[in-house]
Amino acid sequence: MDTLLRLEDLTMHYKTKAGWVQAIDNVSFSLHRGQSLGLVGESGCGKTSVAMSIMRLLPYNAKLVKGRVLFGGHDLYTLSDEEVRQLRWKEVAMIFQAAMNSLNPVYSVGNQIVEAIVTHEPETGEDEARERVKSLFELVGIPKERMDHYPHEYSGGMKQRAVIAMALACNPSLIIADEPTTALDVIVQDKILREIEEIRRTINMSMIYISHDVSVIAEVSDIVGVMYAGRLLELGPADDVFKRPKNPYTYSLMNAYPSILGEKHDLVTIPGEPPNLLDPPTGCRFHPRCDWATKECREVEPAWREITKGHYLACHNPVRTEHGTAHNKTARRAPGKGGDGIGTSGGN
Amino acid sequence: MRRYVFGRLGQVILTLLIYVTLVYFLLQAMPGDITMMYLSNPKIPQAAREELKKQLGLDQSLFMQYVSYMKNFFRGELGVSFSQYPKPVWDILMEKLPRTFVLFLTANVFSFYVGFVMGKVIAWRRGKVIDYAATVVGITFWTAFYPLLALVVIWIFAYNLKWLPLNQFIDPRLWSAAPFTANQVFGNMVYGAAIIGIGIFFIFYYLLRGLKPSRRSRAQAWALACALIAAVLFVAARKGMLIYIWDITRHMILPVFTLTLINFAGTMLLMRDSMLETVQEDYVMAARAKGLPDKVVRDRYAARTALLPTVTSLVLSLASSMSGGMVTETMFSWPGLGQTLFAAALSNDYPLATGALAFTGIFLLIAHFIADILYAVLDPRITYTGQSGV
Amino acid sequence: MNELVPTHETGPASLAEPIWKIRWKLTRRSLRQNWEIFKESRIGMLGIILIIAFGIFGAMWPIMINTVWDPMVYDPVVGFDPMMMHPSPPSGTHLLGTDPIGRDILAQLMHSTGREFLLGVLSALITVVIGTAVGTAAAYYGGLIDTFFMRIADIILLFPFIPLLVVVGAMVKLSFLPFAIIMGVLGGFGGITIILKAQALSVSVRPYIDAARVAGGSNFHIIVSHIIPNVLPLSFLYMMFSVTSAILSEATLSFFGVLNIDMSWGMMIHTADVAGYLFDFARYWWLWAPAGLAITLFCAAFYMVGRGLDEVVNPRLRKR
Repeated sequence: MDTLLRLEDLTMHYKTKAGWVQAIDNVSFSLHRGQSLGLVGESGCGKTSVAMSIMRLLPYNAKLVKGRVLFGGHDLYTLSDEEVRQLRWKEVAMIFQAAMNSLNPVYSVGNQIVEAIVTHEPETGEDEARERVKSLFELVGIPKERMDHYPHEYSGGMKQRAVIAMALACNPSLIIADEPTTALDVIVQDKILREIEEIRRTINMSMIYISHDVSVIAEVSDIVGVMYAGRLLELGPADDVFKRPKNPYTYSLMNAYPSILGEKHDLVTIPGEPPNLLDPPTGCRFHPRCDWATKECREVEPAWREITKGHYLACHNPVRTEHGTAHNKTARRAPGKGGDGIGTSGGN
Repeated sequence: MRRYVFGRLGQVILTLLIYVTLVYFLLQAMPGDITMMYLSNPKIPQAAREELKKQLGLDQSLFMQYVSYMKNFFRGELGVSFSQYPKPVWDILMEKLPRTFVLFLTANVFSFYVGFVMGKVIAWRRGKVIDYAATVVGITFWTAFYPLLALVVIWIFAYNLKWLPLNQFIDPRLWSAAPFTANQVFGNMVYGAAIIGIGIFFIFYYLLRGLKPSRRSRAQAWALACALIAAVLFVAARKGMLIYIWDITRHMILPVFTLTLINFAGTMLLMRDSMLETVQEDYVMAARAKGLPDKVVRDRYAARTALLPTVTSLVLSLASSMSGGMVTETMFSWPGLGQTLFAAALSNDYPLATGALAFTGIFLLIAHFIADILYAVLDPRITYTGQSGV
Repeated sequence: MNELVPTHETGPASLAEPIWKIRWKLTRRSLRQNWEIFKESRIGMLGIILIIAFGIFGAMWPIMINTVWDPMVYDPVVGFDPMMMHPSPPSGTHLLGTDPIGRDILAQLMHSTGREFLLGVLSALITVVIGTAVGTAAAYYGGLIDTFFMRIADIILLFPFIPLLVVVGAMVKLSFLPFAIIMGVLGGFGGITIILKAQALSVSVRPYIDAARVAGGSNFHIIVSHIIPNVLPLSFLYMMFSVTSAILSEATLSFFGVLNIDMSWGMMIHTADVAGYLFDFARYWWLWAPAGLAITLFCAAFYMVGRGLDEVVNPRLRKR
């Protein structure tokens, strides 16, 4: 399998009035063609910033401090604006967090997709593009005669499907889905996720799912990355990470979500709040909320290392036992004062 | 759509009735006995006075006078001007109205277009030097004292540079031997401009439809448009009107320029604010992610939706732009409604002042109506019942 | 937290500090925060500086006329300098020259500044008080009241103010105070009502209004203490724009000579115009330039402050 996307020590800061926000810090991973990666973490941990760095669509106050984003061999941040513009959608498409609002209210939905096709494939005529939109609509399950309707005439679920159809329009090699289903109800959510997954497997496309919802990530990802406060804490094959979490944060995250099929267990919240990224904690960024933090955790930044094949970790004190019984006794149950860290966060 | 238009039309007529009533009573309430002033006007011959008195119904009660005034108003009988006795007010106004209409329309179209484009550009480059510079310059013109601004413009372009005629509507030396009257030529000009305008609209509408018009259809459209203009000009030349048309056009340039200068900033600043809001919308980010060229994102995504609130505010500012237009007319001696109104007011010509004021209202009312319809056409979310279904 | 400690003298539910003191503190804090945002706007700050400059300029008038200037010569209305030909260009004794009937331009300019402030602020205040009251009432009560005032606003929007006031002014020479009141009232029932009503409407559907109603607050109480405070920032913003339009209208009408005002910036240009000096535009520049510039800058200053306030009131315009 060849590598499609590789992030090397990506570090990106935002300039604000109060100072520099260290939104992404030393994030590295690589993604093969046809693979799907799930990025999970609390709101504001930098997942969306990672997605935007891959699209090179950062706000004006963002600054790439170091690192590279390699896409199909190109270093995205050395290309010209025009070259990047041509890569967008043709190679990397995106399903936005707020699909409801990512359609222009004054143009028909079909036209917005046709527009993307004719921009990137100038040799395609408009009629041909319309035909393709019709087949895309069929693929995602929207009646094709609705392509000339305006977004406000669509229901929430249909807009979501339309946005997916739009992402597929130019047959990209990678689609980034940023909270693709957060705004939908659970049943529609599940259905749409399955559809995306099916389409992805048939056309062997890569995908990055971004969600705060562990269950969504668990359902669709080959590999899973866990982000916290702008850093990747753990990354590995989905089975490995979910069944044998090594980082205490991953472990707590698993426990903060109910498992539908697994055994019944008490939900545990993570006490405390994510740190202020203007002045993040020294050492491991999770240490103020970690029950097993040592002096080392407070002072030394844990290295990003490969512990087993394809399973990476940044932790001085990884969880050792299967299912982490050693930790269970210390995991607290009741949400403390202000400690509604993840259990209740409903998206961003 | 039809129901929406008729509904609005009903409202327009009702508002018009109230407006004319207000104007009537406002002028009735003015101190000084209008009747006496009217009847003792030395320009009115003795014999005509009794006739006039009856015609105006001055021997009846105030309410009956009002009723007869309204009746006459809708029959187009607005009385007789007494500064230009015995010319009926209606005739005077009908002569002036097209001139004001053309000036108002051209200036508003120009200033809206200039304001729209500049607002779009400065919002897109927010915080840059051009943003501050355009905002400060815009505010300065927007709040400029316009009689003075008109004088400055006249002084620079007509007096110093001598590019354009000083003021007025026509050059009397040229017209003394003319086979036409100024009104005939002007009427023909309006027809010609309307034909060109509508023609070009349809040419571009049919040939440049779709998202990506080909180079060939673009060239065709431009060629057809040029041919149309040439044809209209050829007809004018055959009739021997071309030189007179040019004369009137030359006289129009400065007033239109001044009005544009005064008004563009309003649209520009509104457009800027409105667009600063739309650029934060998710669909603008989505359009960027789609890899659309920067200009397409700006024009088709950010600016297109920002246009809607700008049009709404345009409606609110029509009256003030009319005020500006009237001052401009006076400053440039442009013989339109505004100048007539000012002259009538200053010479206590009541019937003419009332008529001109009423016509200004009607004029604005129609402009409001058109702007409303335009808004409904621009926003697909309006379902023509006046509600937006988001 | 300290001021929330209950005391025994006034019962357990009351606070150590009177409620108005806490309110005042909160108001001061929000004012300070808003000022921080306002300071970010360069255009707004430019406006503030200009207004302060005009304020100082206007405040100098009583000092100058009582100390340095001889009232016989420098009176803005009846002064006359017998020592030279008029209009005379700027010189040592008349820094901005004199007008065609021998009055000092600088003195006229200074004298008028205070009155322009008074006119602008007075009429804008009337506009805003009426607009806020009517807009809030229309939004809160809805129904007939709403329809009635909105129709009035629609009709007033049809009136081109300046031609209308020219007609009225030509018949009854309006003086200073009636003019300010007419401008204020016409503005108050016009477009501003529609805008403030929209704002009041968006406030009146918020949950805490229902909460206040459930808690037994009277309509009047709810309007005064819950809705109006939320509409006021917008009112204040439109007050700035109203000042601009009042001053511009006054200047234009004075220029056409239909107001009964003895001295104002518009009057100064009117004087030059009727004496025929505006035809020789560049040569007699001091007759029109100072007053014209003053009108434009003064109006622009208030407009700019309005733009700056817009960024405070409307968070979406702020720089992120």
